[in-house]
Amino acid sequence: MPRAMELDINERRGERTPLDMLLKDIALGSRQAFEKLYRDSSPRLFAICLRIVSQRSEAEDVLQEVYATVWHKAAQYDVERAGAMSWLAMIARNKAIDRIRSQPQTRKTEPLELAEAVPDPTASPQLDAQASADRVRLDECLNELDERRRSLIRAAFFDGSTYEELAVRIGSPLGTVKSWIRRSLLQLRECLER
Amino acid sequence: MSTILDGSDDRGGQEPPSDDLAAAEYVLGVLDAGPRLAAESRILTDRAFADLVAGWQRRFAPLTLELRPVEVPSRVWTRIRERLGWPLDEPSVSPAARSLSFWRLAAGVAATVALGLLAVDFVPRWTAPRVSEGQFANAVTTLSRDDGSPGWLATVDARRGTLLMVPVPSAPDAQGRAAELWLIPSGQAPRSLGRVFFDRAHTVAVPATWRADLTDNAVLAISLEPAAGIPHAAPTGPIVAKGAIHL
Repeated sequence: MPRAMELDINERRGERTPLDMLLKDIALGSRQAFEKLYRDSSPRLFAICLRIVSQRSEAEDVLQEVYATVWHKAAQYDVERAGAMSWLAMIARNKAIDRIRSQPQTRKTEPLELAEAVPDPTASPQLDAQASADRVRLDECLNELDERRRSLIRAAFFDGSTYEELAVRIGSPLGTVKSWIRRSLLQLRECLER
Repeated sequence: MSTILDGSDDRGGQEPPSDDLAAAEYVLGVLDAGPRLAAESRILTDRAFADLVAGWQRRFAPLTLELRPVEVPSRVWTRIRERLGWPLDEPSVSPAARSLSFWRLAAGVAATVALGLLAVDFVPRWTAPRVSEGQFANAVTTLSRDDGSPGWLATVDARRGTLLMVPVPSAPDAQGRAAELWLIPSGQAPRSLGRVFFDRAHTVAVPATWRADLTDNAVLAISLEPAAGIPHAAPTGPIVAKGAIHL
């Protein structure tokens, strides 16, 4: 798996990376390129799916859907718009979130403690050591947010929880949660564009 | 200045957010099924909104790489190959032409042919056979499945307010859910147009008050829903196919 990490750490928008080239070959029908892309990227995409769709068999199912989509849509990948790993990660997130939205019984209800400042237990330390410039910048801007708002944004992003779920999980009114998140997003944008 | 723990925030949760915030909420993943579907259909039809979404995806992209990779059981790769119709013993060579694309194209062509036959077969029975009315020039919208393959073809007759829905035949939902058709005018909530079928063509009459919404860039989407209660007020099940109308 270290191979996948090397690939995406160096990823920058607009530059060709091995994943970019694989996607280009996949768009032309190369199964070999597809298999290599799967080997290099699937542990990361599986982590994303598993975090959102907690049930393992469901997450495996979503991952199949993700790669079927990658095979069919590789030609639509636009290197100017997103890095290859980001593009793959966004497909995985979207499929995983669509899956849990279609199954109301899978709503996340476990309480969320916003004050805790513990590092994410599933964080990837290798990336922390060699974080890309974008990553450092996003971290800086997230760190400018109030600690509780920061953990709310992170929980929303990683778990794919809705406003309603988050309100229940932290025991605050829905309007308040919406308002915090929207203000945090605006603050984040302002910081990232500074 | 309010504290973060009271509810009296100035930019309250009630006001509709700006386009950029709506894009951010979609990317963050906090939207319920209905608003999420509306955002997805807007991405298809509204380039400016799609750009805002891409901007937020870029901003959040570094977070997606933060999770520790998890080993994937080998059965997943086997199932992906099965799903793509690749023989398991075949080496991964790169074919000059992608056989799958061929079959997808073939399915689309078959459906288009079927549509043509149906149009020839049925249109004269539905309408007075006046050639000058140009029934055959109606726009066809492809409702694509997630993987890009065609799911249904919709012939939109905006003037009469009818949609001829022709499926590319597929297996019914394993959980027994029905296919429900939604009309989503740009920036608005989905409205049910009732049930459609996985294996046969069917004409849908659009209620007179909604006919004005059969316009360019309105989205047609099909979701899986309990058969009871159709038409529903809002989709709750997964979207299996969607496409934007181009008249």
